[in-house]
Amino acid sequence: MTIEKMLEEEKLTVVLGGELNTMTAPELQTAIKADLESIKNLVLDMTNLTYISSAGLRVILSARQKLGSRGDVVLVGANKEIRAIFAMTGFDKIVKLD
Amino acid sequence: MFGRDIYDASNENLLDLTRRIAENLDREKSITRDYLVELMKRYKVAEINVIDPDGIITVTTHDDFLNYDMHDEEQSAEFLPLLDDTKTEYVQRYQPTTYDPSLYRKYGAVCLKRGGFVEVGYDAERFQQDIDENVVGVTKNRHIGENGCIIIADEDRDIVSDRQNNEGEKLAVTGIRIDRETMPEGELFRSEVYGQQCSCMYVFAEGYYIIAVMPENEVVLQRNTSMFLDFIRDILIFLTLALMIFLLVRLLVLNNIRQVNSSLARITEGDLNEVVDVRSNVEFSNLSDGINATVGTLKQYIADAAARIDEELAVAKNIQQSALPSVFPPYPDREDFSLYATMHAAKEVGGDFYDFYLVDEKKLAFLIADVSGKGIPAAMFMMTGKTVLRGYAERGNAPVEVAQNANTKLCEGNEAEMFITAWMGFLNTETGLIRFVNAGHNPPVLIRAGQASFLTMNSNMVLAAWSGFSYCEESLQLEPGNLLYLYTDGVTEAMNDAHELYGDDRLIQALSASFGEGDTACRNVCSTVKREVDEFVGGAPQFDDITMLCLYYKG
Repeated sequence: MTIEKMLEEEKLTVVLGGELNTMTAPELQTAIKADLESIKNLVLDMTNLTYISSAGLRVILSARQKLGSRGDVVLVGANKEIRAIFAMTGFDKIVKLD
Repeated sequence: MFGRDIYDASNENLLDLTRRIAENLDREKSITRDYLVELMKRYKVAEINVIDPDGIITVTTHDDFLNYDMHDEEQSAEFLPLLDDTKTEYVQRYQPTTYDPSLYRKYGAVCLKRGGFVEVGYDAERFQQDIDENVVGVTKNRHIGENGCIIIADEDRDIVSDRQNNEGEKLAVTGIRIDRETMPEGELFRSEVYGQQCSCMYVFAEGYYIIAVMPENEVVLQRNTSMFLDFIRDILIFLTLALMIFLLVRLLVLNNIRQVNSSLARITEGDLNEVVDVRSNVEFSNLSDGINATVGTLKQYIADAAARIDEELAVAKNIQQSALPSVFPPYPDREDFSLYATMHAAKEVGGDFYDFYLVDEKKLAFLIADVSGKGIPAAMFMMTGKTVLRGYAERGNAPVEVAQNANTKLCEGNEAEMFITAWMGFLNTETGLIRFVNAGHNPPVLIRAGQASFLTMNSNMVLAAWSGFSYCEESLQLEPGNLLYLYTDGVTEAMNDAHELYGDDRLIQALSASFGEGDTACRNVCSTVKREVDEFVGGAPQFDDITMLCLYYKG
């Protein structure tokens, strides 16, 4: 999985490519860990993400909890299947889908 | 000792140059004058002559020497042993050349592969340089002085080289008088040299006086002349030792270190079977053994750690398996419904579970759930989840309350940030109505008269992720003969070697059939799906737990 980060002021944008599964989820966790302390908003660009598993959902959940009331987790460019997963698990209620 | 070192160093330098020139010549098919001139310039020597097996100079940098016969003069005849096999290398002392007695030159010769030999000459100036580099340079670094110099004179006390271009003059012109009878070598004496008062020291080696001269006003340790003496001696000892050590290190150690390093590189790249085997001396033997022992220990640790992980996984599997009801049929005396459930754990246990209990005579609670983590943490959270849900369900709460309370409870102290998807239903065994709550789980399949379809339902937030969400209750009316199939995503996301997922469509297809009645029906449904998934997956490994529960309603 490819991870590209762009940090601007209080917003971190992460562009993901490939699959966010059990193997790759820890990479994402590590990549955003430090920045989560200081930012208000996390934007995940999923245009090139083909698959997300519950491991990926956990990382997103964890990020959402860390941001707390400071700001939001926003998902951009998620495909149909990924949106369905977010809808099914109710995660679409805790993140913003574009 | 001083003079010997310089003499040897100078010989060695010249021989080294001559050897290198010989190597270059050996590589050439035919030797031309131009090539010799090029080599002469490159190696900064004064003269190069190529002598054939008969002793005649056949190619040379100096046209005057062409066709000269080495047999002719005593000096050149000294090189003749190179033509038979008695010698392969020879170097002469500095001496005046036969063709020009005022010119001092040193000659070295090395046999050529094609036969004959090459003779290289270099000048006294070069000799001076060798000495300068070896001794004066060092003394310069020790800040003894900038104006010290070395004077070389032959045994007749004619100057061979000094800094004032007095070559050929008598030594006396410098102001130095040396009497070997009264003035011992290696001892300081004072003299006026070039008009300056200096401290001097000389050695006599192989026919030459080599005199070190140091202006007194520059000598740092003026008062203590014996310290000066020791100081110079120490420098020379230091220099020789350093040179010897360098050569030794280069020969012995660096070559071996290179070998050890390349083995180590292979080991750090992951080849733990690489063995370091450098045994050329005791130290390296020990080093090799030491490295191999360390690698051996490392391999052992890795094997132990892997064994530990396997043990932990086995424990996790045990926890999981023992927690789930495994006796089927669970209610043999009940004819109005049947249940069958299985859980096939993946290698890395994933925390799936199912559960069912009769809340009362008329109410059967049944559920399926999937914990988001893996391994022992997931197995333990699974226990917690199962217990919490059962606790609230057995109180007789409505499904929504069960979900809400369970969610709140599970959010507490959930450090590992796992979440649980769950589908929980309460079947009224008299009416066949199921009141259910879906907490982010994948939709069950309803099988009616050989037709399978996904249950349409709301989806609510998963459990244990975020407290404060409200859950929504829905209902499903079962007709007699209906089957309800619950499963976790280990079924639909089972992957084959071609990275294809088993998927929803295949599942529906597998379930669109008649399965019989009662317990048989439930078992059939589960075993059919399991068989189909296994066939689809083929040899690929199982990543996630495959869990399913099937309910048959008779009414």
